[in-house]
Amino acid sequence: MSNPVPDRLRTTLLTLVVPVALLAAATAVALSWADDLPDPVAVHWGTDGPDGFGSLASAIWPMLLTGVVTSVGAWALAFWAGRASATRRIATGTSVGLAAFLGCIMVGSLAGQRGLADAVDAGGFGPTLLVAVIAGLVLGVAAAALVRTDRPQPTTARVDRDAPRLDLGDSERAVWRRSVHSRPTLVVGTVAVLAVLVATVLTRMWALGLLAVLLAALLCSMVAFDATVDERGLDVRSLLGWPRVRVPLDEVERAVARQVEPISEFGGWGYRVGRGGRTGIVLRKGDGLEVHRTGGRILVVTVDDAATAAALLNALADRSRAV
Amino acid sequence: MLLRIDTSSPEPLFEQIGSQVRSLVARGDLAAGTRLPAARDLATSLDVNLHTVLRAYQDLRDDGVIELRRGRGAVVADVPDHARLHAAIDQVVAAARDLDVPPATTMALLKEALR
Repeated sequence: MSNPVPDRLRTTLLTLVVPVALLAAATAVALSWADDLPDPVAVHWGTDGPDGFGSLASAIWPMLLTGVVTSVGAWALAFWAGRASATRRIATGTSVGLAAFLGCIMVGSLAGQRGLADAVDAGGFGPTLLVAVIAGLVLGVAAAALVRTDRPQPTTARVDRDAPRLDLGDSERAVWRRSVHSRPTLVVGTVAVLAVLVATVLTRMWALGLLAVLLAALLCSMVAFDATVDERGLDVRSLLGWPRVRVPLDEVERAVARQVEPISEFGGWGYRVGRGGRTGIVLRKGDGLEVHRTGGRILVVTVDDAATAAALLNALADRSRAV
Repeated sequence: MLLRIDTSSPEPLFEQIGSQVRSLVARGDLAAGTRLPAARDLATSLDVNLHTVLRAYQDLRDDGVIELRRGRGAVVADVPDHARLHAAIDQVVAAARDLDVPPATTMALLKEALR
């Protein structure tokens, strides 16, 4: 595609430099404590305190490696395929959020062991987890907020001649509307929330309760969407009102209906970034609407009757540029 | 669901909206329990007055096609299966074509009979 990826410097700073610096700082802090720490250190906690032990390196490596690999992957995606601000935002939020989370886990789990002769005496893991979840969330959201939103990129070019079109008279107005929800997501999500709640009670790690609340909120925001096509363009909105994706009519290059495969194209379900930097609201397998937007951006929404939606969107977009 | 209105048609806009919802429901394209767009959203989408949509929704409610619930908006009502009616209409259409009766005459007869 000839469209350049915008904001590469900012993307590199936010999605690669910041998270790697966070992880490096956490590693440096952990290493500086080497003399104060017991050997071996506690690296795993069960219901009754620490139950897994290892060298200091084994407390650092998994966090550092997971964080760096995720950040590099997210950066590569945003750097080469981040034409839509949503793509860059999701990549940046994930990268910084996970780095902050892992850094806190690394430092927090070691902080309580300083000055101990034997790591068996290390305290509980709950407070560390609580801080890590909050830090990951806050920093991830903050980094995502720093990603620059796409400027409007209207086009006056006619819609692709071969794109499907609804026959629409000059004096006609039309609206297409459809709700899409995912029963599997609801079932799996509810089971996950319940499992975390049960784990919270069993381990008495009350910080896990926060995780359950966050999971439940995420579930509510991802389980059902309303999609509307009208004179203003495409509007896809979660039942909670967020997330919400809008494609103004003057940024539509063409729309098509096609079959969508969530796992292989997007690696799962929800509001996601998929192959080629596509953003997707992907709740299930099957019929989906794919909108090619100016700037080389592509949005995919899984929804029934996508053929009608695509035909109407093309017809409306074309009519608005016919003058 | 796809709704379209024609501003150059002599048929009032609220009736155009209403009759399309009716046929979508009758054909089974809008299942019982389906939420219709909020009147305000639909009015914005079609660039018509809010009262036009509200009038259409009220007529639909009066005929038992939809239910208007506070807080939940307009929901398609549970209606009996119309298959028998569709079969009968097919027969009427076939008979009218056989006998070369023009559509306007058939419509007039139907309207007379429904009165």
